[in-house]
Amino acid sequence: MLARRRRNNSGSDRLQQQVLHSSLEQQWQSNSTISNPPTEVSLSRQDCLSPQRQEHLLIHPDMTCRDRSNEFLSVVKSLQSRQSNGVVANHKNRALHIRSEFTQIAKRIGKDLANTFAKLEKLTILAKRRALFDDKPVEIQELTYIIKQDINSLNEQIAQLQQLAKSQRAHYGKHQQTHSNTVVVALQSKLATMSNNFRQVLEVRTENLKHQKTRREQFSASAVTSTMPPSAYQGHMNGSVLLQDEASHIGNGEIAIDMSGSGKGNLQNQMQIIDEQDAYIQSRADTMQNIESTIVELGSIFQQLAHMVKEQEEIVGRIDHNVDDASQNIEAAHTEILKYFQSVTSNRWLMIKIFGVLMVFFIIFIVFMA
Amino acid sequence: MATSLQEKQINALKRMLNFNQPPTKATNAEPQWKVLVYDRFGQDIISPLLTVKELRDFGVTLHVSLHSDRDPIPDVPAIYFVMPTDDNIQRICRDFQNQLYESYYLNFISAVSRQKLEDLANSAIQSNAVQQVAKVFDQNLNFISLENELFTLRHQARESISYYAINKGDVKDTEMEAIMDSIVDSLFSVFVTLSIVPIIRCPRGNAAEMVAEKLDKKLRENLRDARNSLFSSEGVPGQFNFQRPLLVILDRNLDLATMLHHTWTYQALGHDVLDLQLNRMEIEEVIDDGPTMNSPARKPRIKKKTYDLSSKDKIWMSQKGHPFPEVAEAVQEELNAYRQEEGEVKKLKAALGLEGEDDTAISMLSDNTARLTSAVTSLPELLEKKRQIDMHMNIATALLEQIKARKLDTYFETEEKMMSKAALNKSLMDIISDPEAGKPEDKVRLFIIALICGPPLTEAEIDQYCVALQAANCDISSIQYVRRWKSYTKLQAPSSQYAGGGISSTSMFSSLLSKGSQFVMEGVKNLVVKGHNLPTTRIVDALMELKSLPDADDFHYFDPKLLRADASSVPRNKSPFQEAYVFMVGGGNYIEFQNLIDYAKSKSAPGMQKRIVYGCSDLVNAAQFLNQLSQLGQEM
Repeated sequence: MLARRRRNNSGSDRLQQQVLHSSLEQQWQSNSTISNPPTEVSLSRQDCLSPQRQEHLLIHPDMTCRDRSNEFLSVVKSLQSRQSNGVVANHKNRALHIRSEFTQIAKRIGKDLANTFAKLEKLTILAKRRALFDDKPVEIQELTYIIKQDINSLNEQIAQLQQLAKSQRAHYGKHQQTHSNTVVVALQSKLATMSNNFRQVLEVRTENLKHQKTRREQFSASAVTSTMPPSAYQGHMNGSVLLQDEASHIGNGEIAIDMSGSGKGNLQNQMQIIDEQDAYIQSRADTMQNIESTIVELGSIFQQLAHMVKEQEEIVGRIDHNVDDASQNIEAAHTEILKYFQSVTSNRWLMIKIFGVLMVFFIIFIVFMA
Repeated sequence: MATSLQEKQINALKRMLNFNQPPTKATNAEPQWKVLVYDRFGQDIISPLLTVKELRDFGVTLHVSLHSDRDPIPDVPAIYFVMPTDDNIQRICRDFQNQLYESYYLNFISAVSRQKLEDLANSAIQSNAVQQVAKVFDQNLNFISLENELFTLRHQARESISYYAINKGDVKDTEMEAIMDSIVDSLFSVFVTLSIVPIIRCPRGNAAEMVAEKLDKKLRENLRDARNSLFSSEGVPGQFNFQRPLLVILDRNLDLATMLHHTWTYQALGHDVLDLQLNRMEIEEVIDDGPTMNSPARKPRIKKKTYDLSSKDKIWMSQKGHPFPEVAEAVQEELNAYRQEEGEVKKLKAALGLEGEDDTAISMLSDNTARLTSAVTSLPELLEKKRQIDMHMNIATALLEQIKARKLDTYFETEEKMMSKAALNKSLMDIISDPEAGKPEDKVRLFIIALICGPPLTEAEIDQYCVALQAANCDISSIQYVRRWKSYTKLQAPSSQYAGGGISSTSMFSSLLSKGSQFVMEGVKNLVVKGHNLPTTRIVDALMELKSLPDADDFHYFDPKLLRADASSVPRNKSPFQEAYVFMVGGGNYIEFQNLIDYAKSKSAPGMQKRIVYGCSDLVNAAQFLNQLSQLGQEM
C-alpha cells in the first residue's frame, strides 16, 4: 500500500506535509508490526480493502441497463476502416494528457482521506472493545496520535488547495471555478465528518476508561491492600491456593529454596504491586488527559471546518431549483421592462405635446410676425 | 434487494453516477469528481429522487443542462444522462469537438438506435475523441417515479402525450403512432427496471388497446432474443407463475368525472388547488409592504415559496391520504409534541444552572453532561422537525384560504352526493348562480360532473344551465365536448359506476377547538369521506380478484411470456393477483391514486400483501384537464 502510494506520488512535487504524513504512516506500520498482537491489526487493514475489490468484480444481479460500449467501439472501428482504408494510426492517445495541478492535489487529498478513514475505523474497533484485560493503550494512543496528525495535515492541505483554487481563478471559466470550489467544499465536509467521528470515538474511549476504572475499583483488592496491615495480605497471599498453584507452575524448584525468605519477598512483591498500580493509574490519568486535550483540539478544528462549510453554503436543493429561479427572474425582468416601456411611452406623449405646443407658437409667430 | 419501483430507479441512478459500477460504501472510497450533464427529461427524472447534496456525496461537483452554455473543464469525466434525440446527439457531438471534458460516459434514458450510435461514432472519430468515450449505456429509465406506488411518464413537454393530444379531432395516424410509441417505450422501461414481465389487460377499442398491443409486442421481442434479454435476471421458473403482476392499461375516456372532481384529501387538494409538481409544492405568498394606500397602482409583491415533499417527511407520508380537517388536526398535534420537546430542552438548560455554558460547571455535573450531549445531538432533529411542521402549517393555511375563498367544501359535498345519487340539499342552479361560490371553472366542473353522473337532463335543461353558466362568466366549450363525448360513449348505468359512496358531515368544532387549533375552521364543514370506489378501482378490483364485472369482462388478455400471440381473451391465470400496475393513458390524478392505495390497504391481509402501483401518462390537475376539454370543445 505504501509502495503504491509512493509510485503514484513520485512524479508530482510533494508538499512537506505529505512527506511528514507518509513518514508517520511508515512509523505506524512499523509500530503495528512490532506491537504485541500484530496479526489482528494488519489483518483488519487488509479486510478494509478487500471487499471493495471483490465488489468491483461482482456483477450486480439486477442490471437493468445495457452496455453498448462494445457496440459503439465496433461501429467506430468499422467506420474508421471504411474512411481511412485501413490507416488507423490517426488517433493519438489523448487519455495521457496531463492533468492540472489542482486535480492532482485534490485526488491525493481524497486518497489520504480514504486512508485516514480506514485508520479511524480500526481505532473505532479498538476503542469500542470493553474487555478489561484485552486493552491496548499503546496502540490506541499511537493511532490517535497518527490520526490527529493526519487530520491536521489534511486540514492544511485543503487550505492550500483552496488558495491554489483562488489563485487560479482568473484563468478558468465559470464552470471550472464552480467545480474546483465544490471539490474543496466536498473535501472539507468529508474531513469535518471524519473529525466528528474521531471525536465520537475518543469520547467512547474516555467513557470506556471511566467504566474500566470503576470496575477495577469494584473487583480489585487494591483498596484493601493499602489499608490492611501487611500481615493480612501475606496470609492472604499464602492462603491462596491458586497463587500457589501458579507459583508452582512457574518453577518447581525455586519455591522450595525460597520458602525461608518468603516474608521479605512477599513484602517486596506487595510494594512492587502498589508501585505498579500507581504507575498504571498514573499512565491512565495521562491517557485521559491526552484524550481530553485531543478532543478539545478536534473541537476547534471541527468548528473551524463547520464554519468554512457554512460559509460555502451547502445547498440542499434540487437540480431543477435554479431553473425555476431563472424563469421567475425572467418574469420579473419582463414586468420591469414593461414598466419602463410604459414610462417611456408616457414620456413620448409628453414630448409630442410639447412639440405640438411649440409648433403652434411657431406657426403663430410666423403668421403674425411675418 | 430493493422492492419498489422508486428504490430500483434510485439504485439504477446511483450505479450510473458510480460510472456504471455497483456503488460501494460511500465513506471509504476515495472520491472521484465528475460532472453530470442532463437534458430536461433527465432533470425531471433525477430531481424528485436525488437532492443536490446526495449528488455531491457521489462526487458530482457540477450539474448542468446539456443545452446550456458550458465551459470546458478539461480534467474531469462527465456523465451524460439524456434522451437519445437528434438534438441531444448533435449537442454531444459538439461537445466532442470542443473537447469539454476528460472522458465521456454516455447514458441514454431509453435505448439508442444504431443510426444514432453511428452518428456519434462518426463525430467522435472526426474530433478524435474515440478514446475519451469511456462507456455507452442504455439506462431504460424513461419514467419519473414520484412515490413508491406512483409513477408518471413526463413532466415537461407533457402536452405531447396528454388527453388532448390523443383525443384531438384532427390527429394524424403518424402523430398517434409517435404518441403511442413514446408511451410504450416508457412503460417498457418501467418493467425493465422492475425486471418482471406482467400480464396485460386492457379494454377494447381505444388508445389503451393500442398501447397494450405494442407493449406486448415489444416485451415479446425482447424475451425472444434470449441473448440480449433484459429480463434474464429473474431467476427460478415456477416462482413467477404466482408472483407475476397484472398490468391494467385503462383509457381516460373511461371516467372523466374523477378528473374534475373536487377532492378533500391532503395530497390531492394540494395538487388541485396549489401547485404540486414533481413532489414540490409552490405557494404564493402575498407580502404586504405596510400601508400602500398612497400608491394604489402598485401591486402587492407575490413571493413564491417552494416546499419539497419527500418520502422522508413523516407527517407527509402519514397524512397525505387523509381528509383535510384530519390533517390540520394532526399538524396541530405534531406542533404540540414539538413544543413539549422544546420545553424539555429548555428545562434542561435551566437545570444546569445559571452558569450555563461554563465548562467547569458542566464537568462537575457529570450526569447532566450526558443529558446535555443527548440534547445537543437531538437539536438538529428538532430543528428538522420544526421545519417540517412549519412547512405543513404554511401549506395547510394556504389550502384553507383557498377552500374558504372558493367554498370548496360545498362543491365537494354536492359532487359526492351526485356521484352517490343522494338527494342534494342545495339545487344545482343555486350554486351555479351564487356569485360567492368559487371560480367559474369550479362551476363548470360541478356541472360536468352533474352531466355525467347526475340524473339525465333534457336538452332544454342543459341549455338553461349553459345560459346560467355563461352568465356566471364561464367558458362552456368544454361542456360542448362532454356532451358529445357522452353521446358517443355508451355509458353504462352510472348508478353502478359510482356506487358505495357517501359522506357525512360532523360538527367541526368538536375536536378542533378543544385542542386549541390555530386554524380557524369556521365556515368549513368537517367532511368525513367514507370508503368509496371510483370506476378505475372497481375495474382493477374485478381484474385482480377475477370477479365478473360487465365493464371488465371483455378486456383483452396479453401474456408476453406465451410463445404464440393469440388474441383469445381467456384469462389463463386462475389465482387472484397480488400485485397490480394500473396505467392510465391520457392523464391521471392523485384522487385516483389515493383511491387505489386505499383499496389495496383495505384488501391486504397480514399474510397476503396486496400492492397496487399507479401510473399515468401525465399528472394533470382539474384546471389543466378542463383546459384540455375546452380546447377540444373549441375544435369541434
